[in-house]
Amino acid sequence: MGHPQSRLRNRIRELRSESGEMSQKALAERIGVSRQTLNAIEGAKYSPSLEVAFRIAESLGVELTDVFQHEPLKARTKRKRG
Amino acid sequence: MNASFEERSVKITLAGLLVVFGLYFAVAWQMLAAGVTESVVPFLPVFGIAVGLLVFLLVIGHTLAAITDRPADVDERDRMIAWKAENDSSWILGVGVLAAIFGLGTPIGPAWIANGLLATLFLSEVLKRTLQLWYYRKGI
Repeated sequence: MGHPQSRLRNRIRELRSESGEMSQKALAERIGVSRQTLNAIEGAKYSPSLEVAFRIAESLGVELTDVFQHEPLKARTKRKRG
Repeated sequence: MNASFEERSVKITLAGLLVVFGLYFAVAWQMLAAGVTESVVPFLPVFGIAVGLLVFLLVIGHTLAAITDRPADVDERDRMIAWKAENDSSWILGVGVLAAIFGLGTPIGPAWIANGLLATLFLSEVLKRTLQLWYYRKGI
């Protein structure tokens, strides 16, 4: 699922603070995963399924693309070299 | 980050497997070295005790883990990690089965073949649990 070279960037931590300091545990319970899994998603160690990604966006009251951004591998490589 | 119940369950299972089947193979090796190679029957009581001990240790370990942290449902990351670890470790058992088939055509005693097959199953399970722990820590 989550290839290490093409992980999604996300703004979950930032959006949690914006929505009244929602805790990881509270969000994890809302979307039906463990707190450790949400932590792995936030830290880009795990790319969630589309269903969980949508549930995260819905729980935070934003669009999916406000939470997750996909950065193409080529762009990342260029940026690193530049 | 605290480990989830599922991750701790993997650690408990790995520890149980290493302790119990480490002891089993130590005993089995001595029996094989003493010439008990023509039948698997003498190994059955030892194997039965090992399985019983493993079940006992796993029940104790999981009970203690559940006391300190409420067991949660397995989620999609747990399933993905288990699937990937299984996928990356099952080749060992495949090698063992092929070696056992090859061994049937040689003068090696059936006890060697049975224990060799069991050893590959053990190694495959140990690698699976080790990979699970690795994926929990490093990500997938």
